[in-house]
Amino acid sequence: MLRYTARRLLLMSITVIGMVTVVFFLLRAIPGDPASYMLGDYATEESVAALKAELGLDRPVWEQYLGFVKRALTGDLGTSVVTGQPAFDEVLESIPWSAALSVSGIVIAVLAGVPLGVMSAVRHGTFADLFIMFGALVGISFPVFWVGLVCILLLAHEVRLFPALGASSSTDFFTQVHHLMLPALVLGFSVAAYIARLTRSAMLEVLGQDFVRVARAMGVPERRIVYRLALRNALIPVLAVIGVTFAWSLGSAILVEAVFSRPGLGSMILKAVFARDYQLVQAGVFVLASAVVLVNTSLDIVYGWVDPRVSVS
Amino acid sequence: MSDGAVLAVRDLSTVFPSEAGPVTTVDGVSFSLGAGETLAVVGESGSGKTMTFLSVLRLVPPPGRVTGGEVLLEGADIAALPASEMRWIRGAGIAMVFQDPLTALNPVFTIGDQMLEVIRAHTAMSPRQARALALEVLERVHIPAPAKRIDDYPHQLSGGMRQRVLIAMAIALRPKVLIADEPTTALDVTVQAQILELLAELRSELGMGMVLITHDLGLVARYADRVAVMYAGRVVETSPIAQGFGRSRHPYTRSLFRSIPRLDLPADQPLTVIAGQPPDLARLPAGCAFEPRCFLGNGREDCRSERPALLPTTSDRHLSACPHWRALIDAEAGA
Ligand SMILES: Nc1ncnc2c1ncn2[C@@H]1O[C@H](COP(=O)(O)OP(=O)(O)OP(=O)(O)O)[C@@H](O)[C@H]1O
Ligand code: SF4
Ligand SMILES: [Mg+2]
Repeated sequence: MLRYTARRLLLMSITVIGMVTVVFFLLRAIPGDPASYMLGDYATEESVAALKAELGLDRPVWEQYLGFVKRALTGDLGTSVVTGQPAFDEVLESIPWSAALSVSGIVIAVLAGVPLGVMSAVRHGTFADLFIMFGALVGISFPVFWVGLVCILLLAHEVRLFPALGASSSTDFFTQVHHLMLPALVLGFSVAAYIARLTRSAMLEVLGQDFVRVARAMGVPERRIVYRLALRNALIPVLAVIGVTFAWSLGSAILVEAVFSRPGLGSMILKAVFARDYQLVQAGVFVLASAVVLVNTSLDIVYGWVDPRVSVS
Repeated sequence: MSDGAVLAVRDLSTVFPSEAGPVTTVDGVSFSLGAGETLAVVGESGSGKTMTFLSVLRLVPPPGRVTGGEVLLEGADIAALPASEMRWIRGAGIAMVFQDPLTALNPVFTIGDQMLEVIRAHTAMSPRQARALALEVLERVHIPAPAKRIDDYPHQLSGGMRQRVLIAMAIALRPKVLIADEPTTALDVTVQAQILELLAELRSELGMGMVLITHDLGLVARYADRVAVMYAGRVVETSPIAQGFGRSRHPYTRSLFRSIPRLDLPADQPLTVIAGQPPDLARLPAGCAFEPRCFLGNGREDCRSERPALLPTTSDRHLSACPHWRALIDAEAGA
């Protein structure tokens, strides 16, 4: 178990380092640089060159990379050229916003998607199944920003159930939650659609298995068969993709944040890319990648606990 | 004959709708089974052996439907029970063991957990009492060190052990009837005999009626008291084993046994050596379903036009669905 965990940790670090490295070089491969961006269109070539030298951007890329790694190892991810703040602090500030949105989105998605998928499978071929699967199709095929805009129009402007803005400067907990609800529902809907479809097909497959027939032949009540004996099997593939949907929901969160004008890691990285704020992008990607890898690793461990055939050795 | 029978089935039919029209996979099946008796059910693949007993338990997979018939368990017609009460019969009145022990157990629950699920579905036992009962039946099916095994997951057990667990599950509630559907087909030859011995032992200890569905005709003579032969969803012959297989009074049964090289050898051969194709249930001939393959029927007009009923021959213990059965005996006498 100890060796297993150690190996997982090593694997995790390699993944994160790989991600950050790729982003480091990609950033420098795209045209434009922070110096030109900061000084604007009318800057002279000399002033740009001077600023580049000051920022260390005139040196070869591999040398910049070595410097970055050396500093990163001491916990220094550089300074945002736009705000002058340590990049890592900037990222830390946006984490609670993103975490609140992604986590509540996933929780809504699982709480809605799994029961709906099970219901759909148990009643497959009926009107209820058709209805749920139609809803899921909508959730999957309509882009999340479109769903977001429609929701704002209907639920914020027409019915005024929720505020149109996805964030508030108020520190009141309930106000914050009220602002979070609509973005979380929109994000949750698209993920729920995916989870519902997956749960349905997994459940249908399990319900056709021999051991379900055996349980029926032994008189185990249908309720126990579906919600205990079959569900645990059906949840294995669902669990396996929740990690993937988490990464995916972080991606969708960028769009949701944009539609609802909500701060967060996604919109921060997006802005930083436009500003060629290398340090901020790198710090953001580092945190994002760590989060995704961490969630996936913990899910793997839960997975091994649900499915006894996955041995930890 | 159904007096004293623990299970008597009359005119049981099951139909599957299909594009080519309704397909009758179980077609007016009747048989009876006494307490402590073993009835072997044989027939080619697809002849409706499994479907017959799924119909008895009313577990026919949709869109299939039991369309008629009586199923008397100790005299009470369970085919007339509402669906909600049927589950009390399954497992406690009639239990079934299936062919493949590798897929018959739920991979993500321990065997103890699965046994408890069955026991507690039928009794008001506390978890602790149920576990004690589970240990007791595991012991009974000769699982070594059951206290250690009960918390194992299925993948930690061999195929033979898993079949023992399934048998333990099936007998835990002391059913009146145990249906074993090809219980050894998926197992090693050496393990097969052990499982069959175990079933025979349990049958006499617990006084259950037992149905042994099998492809292996060698087993029939050794373990069964009577045999029912199925063809195209119907029972075409039933007879006591003591009457001797060679004395069969149906051409299909004769062909089946001729397809084995030697009766005194354990035969594992699939029963596909009979000339011609197994029938297409959606397109059965108007007369006898076996007619296209029958060595006796060819040319006879009534074989093509009339569907023969299962009727007594010389004794009412030996039934045949071939009106020309006497010709088989005459041929023997002549030879
Ligand atoms: N789910 C189903 N839907 C439609 N037809 C089915 C279904 N299951 C079985 N059948 C048909 O019912 C008939 C009887 O099948 P059954 O499984 O009872 O045969 P069997 O005698 O047990 O054969 P085997 O020796 O291969 O187990 C077959 O013709 C089969 O094609
Ligand atoms: S009824 Fe005719 S075709 Fe059918 S088994 Fe008897 S002899 Fe053969
Ligand atoms: Mg079968």
